[in-house]
Amino acid sequence: MKEKLAGIVGAVFADYADLRYEENRKTRISFRGKQLVEVASYETSGGHVRAYAKGGKAVASFSDLSRAGSMAEAAAASAAIAGGRRDKPLRLAEAPAITESFLISSPRDARHASVQEKLDLVAHYNEMILREPTVATTEANYDEFVSHRIFVNSEGSVIEYDIVVANILGFIVTKRGDVMQRVRFAFGGNEDFGRLQHREDELEERVGIGRALLDAEPAKAGLFPVILDPSESGVFIHEAFGHLSEADGLQNNPAFREKLKLGAPLGKPLLNVFDDSSLPGLPGTYVIDDEGVHGVRTPLITEGVLSGRLHSRETAAEFGEPLSGNMRAVDAINTPVVRMSNICIEAGTDSFDDMVGSIEKGYYLVGAKGGQTSGDQFTFGAQWGFRIENGRLGPMVRDINMSGELFSTLQAISMVGTDLEGSERGGCGKAGQANRLSGKQTPPIKIDQVTIGGV
Amino acid sequence: MHELIEQARQSVDQAELYWKRAHTVSASYENGRLQQISENDLSSVALRVIHQGRMGSTFAVSPDQPGLIDQAKTASAYGDPATFSFAPAADYPQVDAFDAEAEKLTSENLITLSESVLDAIRKKRDDLPLEVNAEMETRELVIETTEGAQAHQKATDVVLSLGAPIKGAGMPVYKWRGSASPQSRPDDLIDEFLEWYGWTEKVSTPSTGRLPVIFTPDACCLYLLALWAGLEGGAIEKRTSPVVDRLGEQLFSSRLTIADDPVAEGGFGARSFDDEAVPCQRRALIEQGVLKGLLLDQRSASALGEASTGNAVKRELFTGGTETKPSPWPIRLSVDPGSRPYRELIAGLDEGLLVYFGMGFHSGNYPQGQFSVQAIGFHIKGGEVIGRLDNTMISVNIYEDFKNIRAVSAETGPALGFINATAPYVLVDSVQVAGT
Repeated sequence: MKEKLAGIVGAVFADYADLRYEENRKTRISFRGKQLVEVASYETSGGHVRAYAKGGKAVASFSDLSRAGSMAEAAAASAAIAGGRRDKPLRLAEAPAITESFLISSPRDARHASVQEKLDLVAHYNEMILREPTVATTEANYDEFVSHRIFVNSEGSVIEYDIVVANILGFIVTKRGDVMQRVRFAFGGNEDFGRLQHREDELEERVGIGRALLDAEPAKAGLFPVILDPSESGVFIHEAFGHLSEADGLQNNPAFREKLKLGAPLGKPLLNVFDDSSLPGLPGTYVIDDEGVHGVRTPLITEGVLSGRLHSRETAAEFGEPLSGNMRAVDAINTPVVRMSNICIEAGTDSFDDMVGSIEKGYYLVGAKGGQTSGDQFTFGAQWGFRIENGRLGPMVRDINMSGELFSTLQAISMVGTDLEGSERGGCGKAGQANRLSGKQTPPIKIDQVTIGGV
Repeated sequence: MHELIEQARQSVDQAELYWKRAHTVSASYENGRLQQISENDLSSVALRVIHQGRMGSTFAVSPDQPGLIDQAKTASAYGDPATFSFAPAADYPQVDAFDAEAEKLTSENLITLSESVLDAIRKKRDDLPLEVNAEMETRELVIETTEGAQAHQKATDVVLSLGAPIKGAGMPVYKWRGSASPQSRPDDLIDEFLEWYGWTEKVSTPSTGRLPVIFTPDACCLYLLALWAGLEGGAIEKRTSPVVDRLGEQLFSSRLTIADDPVAEGGFGARSFDDEAVPCQRRALIEQGVLKGLLLDQRSASALGEASTGNAVKRELFTGGTETKPSPWPIRLSVDPGSRPYRELIAGLDEGLLVYFGMGFHSGNYPQGQFSVQAIGFHIKGGEVIGRLDNTMISVNIYEDFKNIRAVSAETGPALGFINATAPYVLVDSVQVAGT
């Protein structure tokens, strides 16, 4: 197979071509309330070709392997057409040809557990949640993605690699009268089935939060100082800053490129941010990206100053910056895009008590609830939180959504905590691709001012 | 009938084959330059079976992939008790979703269209980092069941979008148009884009508290998704929806009328059957503010003792596609227009917001009709748009705030993403606004 695919990209009439072929197995088990609504385990396959010719680029996806050759030729011809329409040719940064396999083997690999074992485990967690009287319904899922990939390019790379990720995740929905609240849970993030087991205590805690939220007060709208717990600070740095460090989004946005030149002061000296695909155990950990480039640790903000960026070979050439190995495609039918691996804030020196003590009136916000970013505007939610009054934690609050402008908010990070926490589940949407493999490792942080949208 | 259905008859009680093939060509321009030409040739299959009274499913890229029936049968051992039968034979309404001329479009045609748009904009403004994308998709969907359904629809989608990032802010102002037929240069859309872009050049901060808000057609996805979460059969069945047992009740302002209309004229998004091969039809959901209909697939319909409304779609809030289970989702919503030009709605406001997008919808409590989003749009003062919003949040509960709609416009346009919908500008009397 490898030789056959290498033969296809070798024969294509282009300056550069690559092809990624995938055989994927997906396993999904889903409960909605008491009901087991799905058990599915199945295989799909497909490929993706990219070609650069005469300074232009074309890509193609196919389901049927027998179409690989003709799709690759068509992509090469389209790339030449595209090149003819450009005044500025696209180029690729030099990268070494790699001929190696990076296959995952782990003693507790989720691939070794039976569907019945997976079903029993998620059923057990779901039953635990349903025992709570205030629970109106649940969503409990087992989600496993196993991808075996072959990458070849016209420069001689032939790489075989695996992606294996198993998650248990869902929602606890509590209800009393007209008040309904949703609390998330998520375990896993890599191939280790063991990480999914024995999580009853954490799940109980989450159920307790769902119950307590029914009596919590809604957050008040306005401008407040906030402390973000690690799960919130992770989403914040991912949404508010991380996406802007992805060079493909910046490449053709002249105003932002100007604003985000390396060396630009973005925060106070206490702020250090980096992306690292080599950290063990996090969802965004990998050896090789989907462009055949090794993943590395990339400093992004060093002592408050913009110090690096995430790249594809194309954007690295465009910006004249080093390769970072951040090109990822969620599956065969998608073209890779530049995305964070594990985005991290370095631990600081502030204790949690000092952080709370520094706030007269504000909020401590807990539990990521998703976010969104566009340009310099970002928004994200918190599953629950606590009012802070006169330097002390007060009553629980709910219905919290906040927003801000990136540059002023980064400058407003005034304290960084000491305790790092890694995410177990990474969801990130970009270019229509929902990526499970996006990690975070962050401490709590204090932001002097964000906008809270209340109800 | 496909051979797979014939084979399935031998070993399972019932089977349903869903097979989608799509060919897509697109050209995308960034900062005014052709960034990429893309072509996809994809096939995907979902097979559902009922075996010994239980439902099982499996997925593949081709119906010829070996072992599909056995895989689905194995899954059925764990599956839900089947509460309904797969669709029987039916007469499907005719829709004009396919245009043979559109199917013939090549990447060269899309380049020509895109460049005509770029040239037209550049003649009026040559300082914008323009993003233009032109795409053609030909799609063929076949659903066949052992119960006799033989549904087949071919569709073409031509989508043209144009936009540019706002200077200094990065987010784009963006306009798009979809059709089943080839498109010519959309001069009206270009003019509207340029007017909106002009409005972004100054930041203006509105008062906080409660203000009138005009949701542009683009922004209808915000309130329509919050409405979907209440009307979808699953939430009704679990009784978590705020509209349980409220059919016939006045929920909103009498100015609000919403239908799901997959079969009306206009081919873009038209469907003659849903993703379970149930025939589509026009259905009133909200009539002059009164709740008239729900969105049901076969599963939720059977749980409620009703018939499917033809709203099974392989779609969830953030994912969708062949591998997604069908669940209740609107096929093609239309919000009825009013009689006043939207510029009159703007002119009538002392202060208010014109909102075309909201960021962070999914972080809100939308199953209860609530969303708290960063409002992307413009500030209206003294009857005029005076600048763009920056760091402004709006918090809406549709079941409260949409009781008081001051006006809806005569003009309509498409939703910006998430759902297939057409809506007018909707002026809501009073919405909570927070910000700097």
